[in-house]
Amino acid sequence: MPPTLDMSRYLGLFVAEAAEHLQALSRDLVSLEKQRTPETVDSLFRHAHSVKGMAASMGLEAIATLAHRVEDLVETLRSGASAWDQGLVDLMLEATDTMQGQVQAAAASAPVAPPTALLARLSEAVQARTGKQAAPTRVARDVHFTPGPAPAPAGPLALDVQVQVSLSSGSPGVRAFLVHRELAALGRVLSVQPPLEELRAGALPDGKLTLAVEAAGGEAAVRKALDALAEVELVSVAPHRPTPPTPAEAPVALEAARSVRVRTELLDDFLELAGELLLATSRLREIGKRLGEAQRPALEEGVDRLHGLAKEMHGRVMGARMTPVAVVTDQLPRAVRDVARRRAREVDLVVEGAEIELDRAILDALAEPLLHVLRNAIDHGIEDGPGRASAGKPPRGQVRVTVRRARDRVHIEVADDGRGMDEQALRASAVARGALSAEAAARLPRSEVLLLACLPGVSTAPDVSDISGRGVGMDAVKRAVERVGGTLELASEPGQGTAVTFRLPLTVAVLQLLLVRAAGEVVGLPITKVLSAVEAETSPVDVASPGRTLRHGQVQLPVHSLAALLGFAESAGPAGRTFVVMEAEPGPVALAVDGLVGQEEVVLKALSRPLDQLPGLAGVTILGSGRPVFILDVPRLLA
Amino acid sequence: MADSTRHVVFRVETGRYALPLAAVREVVVTPEHFTRVPRAPAAVTGVINLRGRVVTVVDLRPVLGLGEAARPAAKLLLLDRGRRDLALGVAEVEAIAELEPPSVPAEGTGLVRGVARLGEVAVQLLDAEALDARVTALFRGR
Repeated sequence: MPPTLDMSRYLGLFVAEAAEHLQALSRDLVSLEKQRTPETVDSLFRHAHSVKGMAASMGLEAIATLAHRVEDLVETLRSGASAWDQGLVDLMLEATDTMQGQVQAAAASAPVAPPTALLARLSEAVQARTGKQAAPTRVARDVHFTPGPAPAPAGPLALDVQVQVSLSSGSPGVRAFLVHRELAALGRVLSVQPPLEELRAGALPDGKLTLAVEAAGGEAAVRKALDALAEVELVSVAPHRPTPPTPAEAPVALEAARSVRVRTELLDDFLELAGELLLATSRLREIGKRLGEAQRPALEEGVDRLHGLAKEMHGRVMGARMTPVAVVTDQLPRAVRDVARRRAREVDLVVEGAEIELDRAILDALAEPLLHVLRNAIDHGIEDGPGRASAGKPPRGQVRVTVRRARDRVHIEVADDGRGMDEQALRASAVARGALSAEAAARLPRSEVLLLACLPGVSTAPDVSDISGRGVGMDAVKRAVERVGGTLELASEPGQGTAVTFRLPLTVAVLQLLLVRAAGEVVGLPITKVLSAVEAETSPVDVASPGRTLRHGQVQLPVHSLAALLGFAESAGPAGRTFVVMEAEPGPVALAVDGLVGQEEVVLKALSRPLDQLPGLAGVTILGSGRPVFILDVPRLLA
Repeated sequence: MADSTRHVVFRVETGRYALPLAAVREVVVTPEHFTRVPRAPAAVTGVINLRGRVVTVVDLRPVLGLGEAARPAAKLLLLDRGRRDLALGVAEVEAIAELEPPSVPAEGTGLVRGVARLGEVAVQLLDAEALDARVTALFRGR
């Protein structure tokens, strides 16, 4: 029997959340190798624990059992029963990877096979470290086939815990904070009252603290943890009863509880709808022009308001699509570790600016290319130990991923301090591939030689290693970057290192255009910048003369001939009486055009050299008819 | 380096010119429709849609100092690689021929590397890099 529709909904949620926890688990394991802090161990435990709970409630035994074993192993680290060792981390990473594969299999509703050998090794490790046999993992049975209410999303019984902090305590807030930390270490704190920020500030007026916790060890563990704290008394522990928050006393939920998961496609739909709304508004405005003077002001006021709202909505939807680059860079430490170990390199990864946000669609398209560039840096860039020593470099190589905002673009640079790219090898490889003649190769300037690496099949790698020599090459990286409207740049100094820079637009390059004709040529105006289109009653001769203004609502707007702004000779025929009112600096302007052509949604193409040298062009696009059309940046045209 | 290399030989106005074959990706018959480029230098005929790429067409007449481009050039030489989005307008493409490198280096503009002979005619060998730089310079500071 296939899972019911309802279950498949939960399955989607499970897959998304489990994937997040597993990624965090893997990240924590890698950072544990560098620095062992109790916080990291706690975080490891929480993630393993969450995965176990979720998988168990979904009836996914293989995943739940693996997570349980990882949890056991982390517990031995936490209790100090187990000494730190590399083999342990390797084992846990392997388990994490396996679980990731299993989650993907579950997502595809494929059967999840128990990884018997791995489980045996994990159980063995648990037994060796605790001296006890690993406990069996309890899993909800037949959950896929049970209609009705969903099982609880996560693990053990939640508890309501009430604590009284001694009022004679010098710093009740700090005590309460410690309580929170101890209980968090047992599993997960669902809510805390008073809120954590207040505790941090040291405030706890009546000494009462209420928490809802999911604790791995249940009530006994909670009691034990609180016993160890001075000046703290446990008032009560009871099964958690979710209470609807009252406005006066809303429990502070975790960050996760305040957000909802939305499919990316839904955000795409929203964006499209917001664009349509803008178009519909401008149509209404046009119809309003035909109304008599009496009705017009009221309608125009309404349309202005509608336009303002539609624009704000468009902006919010764009905002909702923005995602920190961290969702991509968080995967990098693990990749660096794996490649570095396989190639026996010592590499430090530094990531800066991961909080900068980009459109989700762009980030999705770049995750793989970024990984590839990073692997390349270690695989072909960073020298081995003796190589670095003889080059007079510190033994540990460095790869630096820097994210920067640069006006309306975001630059992601991956720079290594390795051996740099071998110009001659690139030329030779390109010639050998038949990509260009030996003479052409010899004549290419350095800046272009580096781009040869982006031709299919061209590589400087003497051996094709299994790490970066297969699958996507730099040509695929370049294509992926260009597909989202970005550009790729390479810089390299022999012996000093290589830097690969992705220059990316902030948002997806889908644009609503108002197409207008000026001097016989069709150009596009971004509809978000268009306030209205006006048929003037004034004589065309009057408005065409310099210094003229156009009455728009209550104000007089300066009039510019679009043909003149574009440097096109005015068309011979009588000048049109159509004006497009657009946002500009310092205020709106009216552009005189031959006529309106229509509205179209287009994909913006970045301008290639030498067109990018021209001011006032935002980009170019190819219309459905096959005709290339330039998109104007009106404020810059006027500047 | 006395090796001869294959060149594309073409006509601009009445003069014969050549570019190394390796620098030219393809020859295109000038399409009827051009999209004019806002604020572009006079030498720019416009842009065309070539299999989904927006290619800028620059007429060689003004670039070589041979006067204004009254009508669009008949043939377009699509330049290779980094200059893939740039095409040069010429009057006619006449031959693909082995040309000896010039014995006498050219003086003057830097666009012409020298003069080679093809049968009875003198052919000016153009430098693709210098040509590209000259075109880019036309756009700069506008």
